[in-house]
Amino acid sequence: MKTNVLQKIQTYYEKKKTEIKDTYFTQKLNAKRKRDFQAFFGSFFRYVFLIGLCFVILFPTIQQILQALRAPEDVNNPAVIWIPEIWSLKNLELAVLVLDYKDALINTATMSFISMVLQLFSTALAGYAFSRLKNKVTNVLFILVILTIVIPPQALSLSQYLYFRDLRLIGKQSSIYLMNLLGMGIRSGIFIFIFRQFFAGLPKELEESAQIDGAGVFRIFFSVMLPNARGAMVTVGLFSFVWAWNDAYYVKIFEVSTADFPLLTMRLLNAAENMYAQLFYTGGLDLVGQDVWENPLFLALISNVAALLMMLPLLIMYLFVQKQFVESIERTGIVG
Amino acid sequence: MQNIQKPMKMTKNINKYHKQKQFWSMVFLLPWMLGIVFLFGMPLIQSFLYSFFKLTPRVGEIVLEFVGMGNYLFAWNTHVTTVSSFKVELINTVTDVVINLPVLLIFSLFIAVMLNAKFKGRAVVRAIFFIPVILNSAAVATALGGGDIITQILEQQNIGQLFDLEYFLVQTGLDQVIVGFISGLIGRIYDILALAGVPILLFLASIQSVPKHLYEAAKIEGATAYEMFWLITLPNVSPHIITVTVYALVDTFLTSSVSGIISDELNKQQWGVSSAMSWMYVGSIIVILLIIFLLAKIFGIGGSHYEN
Repeated sequence: MKTNVLQKIQTYYEKKKTEIKDTYFTQKLNAKRKRDFQAFFGSFFRYVFLIGLCFVILFPTIQQILQALRAPEDVNNPAVIWIPEIWSLKNLELAVLVLDYKDALINTATMSFISMVLQLFSTALAGYAFSRLKNKVTNVLFILVILTIVIPPQALSLSQYLYFRDLRLIGKQSSIYLMNLLGMGIRSGIFIFIFRQFFAGLPKELEESAQIDGAGVFRIFFSVMLPNARGAMVTVGLFSFVWAWNDAYYVKIFEVSTADFPLLTMRLLNAAENMYAQLFYTGGLDLVGQDVWENPLFLALISNVAALLMMLPLLIMYLFVQKQFVESIERTGIVG
Repeated sequence: MQNIQKPMKMTKNINKYHKQKQFWSMVFLLPWMLGIVFLFGMPLIQSFLYSFFKLTPRVGEIVLEFVGMGNYLFAWNTHVTTVSSFKVELINTVTDVVINLPVLLIFSLFIAVMLNAKFKGRAVVRAIFFIPVILNSAAVATALGGGDIITQILEQQNIGQLFDLEYFLVQTGLDQVIVGFISGLIGRIYDILALAGVPILLFLASIQSVPKHLYEAAKIEGATAYEMFWLITLPNVSPHIITVTVYALVDTFLTSSVSGIISDELNKQQWGVSSAMSWMYVGSIIVILLIIFLLAKIFGIGGSHYEN
């Protein structure tokens, strides 16, 4: 009798034990399943979302390229939506004529490059001073950097124009270079900010060890900090170059783009305003028949192609720099 | 004796280094300071004065005529362009900014978190996301006429929208205002992406500067990705939210139609009026900024979550 009860208790206990074990394991399994499902769902959602956005970004550019490659006669051929029926470089030829492409490209590229170098120079120096050479004076001066970001360029343009007129710099590229050299170029404030955050984020030990080894301030900046700041240099350099390339404002105010020194942005703006006149003056009209150039869509298409031509070098450059650029975000982070 | 001398020498060295630092900070700032005085400070004061004058160009000089608040009143009350007026555009821009800024911030933070996670093809996606920043140019936008040509061509071929979002949203019984807001957002997704490029970059950088051991510890404690976002990423990123906000605010204003109107007035040689307009523009930015800073202070955004 006694053993019977004991046995009963034992079997009951065993049963409970396995039961608990089972539920525990199924729970664990369920949790794993749930996690797997969540991970799968998360990555699935992410891919859909990101691919969608990438499509939105790439769609207009791809469409533009394909439209640029159709024959001028096919502008409103209802049969052509994506792939051109007759492949042709005629549109590109006309856009090249309108933009004065070769000269304008060389000029824009040199000007953007020199602007970039000067802007890198002034903003890197200022950013370093604001982050690692801090004292009471620089802290107060930094408020002015914020102010330069907030004040629109239009508020300053007139006085700057009068200034440069007195210096006889109007109509010369040197006006743009001077602005960049003195750290007042396009969005220089942002660049100073980026450099400041970046330099502030570099470890203090770097500076201390170099200092113990007997390096002075300039030496530390030039041979220790600057090589470590490659990430910020790439980011700022890329933005600086691109914004200088795309800049139409300062170029217009300071009248830099002239017949002898054409720049892409100004040529493009002029062309977009009156494509017919531009085609007429550059002799582009003779290359196509009257039935084609009478179509307003054709004129719009050419200005579209001209815009594409302006962006193309940037896109190609970006393809090359892109890896470094993305890595530069990766490696350190710009913000300290 | 030697033991005492050594630290003394060290402190002397450090003092010397500090002095050197002060000297070099001025040297490093020299180009920028020249710029701030001659190309920023003086033009700024001048343009403020000009906003109270009527400027007429004569041969070799500019004649000033004091008009008091006349320029401001003109810009606000009587100024019109062919399609709009300064007042309308300024009010539109301000409301746009107030509505769009939060959206832009949330969107770019969201994208930054996504681009930060590890997945296949991340490098490609990142490269693509910064293309709008590269291609964002006033000249190109003018030449493209806001993408009109493409839509025109497509419309001529009877290919309108492939997917009429607005129609579907109205069918679900949503309020008209919300429908307009959502479809407006989606219609401008490319513009938003172009504006969001730099904010994404700044957020991405700040997320990457969050110490990795925080995430490791949280993972060991069994935190989910969701919890880690709210409890680690967001507090650590919040100091940079202010930076991004300022950037996005200024950028939206710079690319707005208000800025275009001011440029036009400048080109029409209405210098007094354009100065007054740009000061009103600056004024509205500063008011918005002050409100943002105030809100940030009240809600404690911007301060470091972990006391440094």
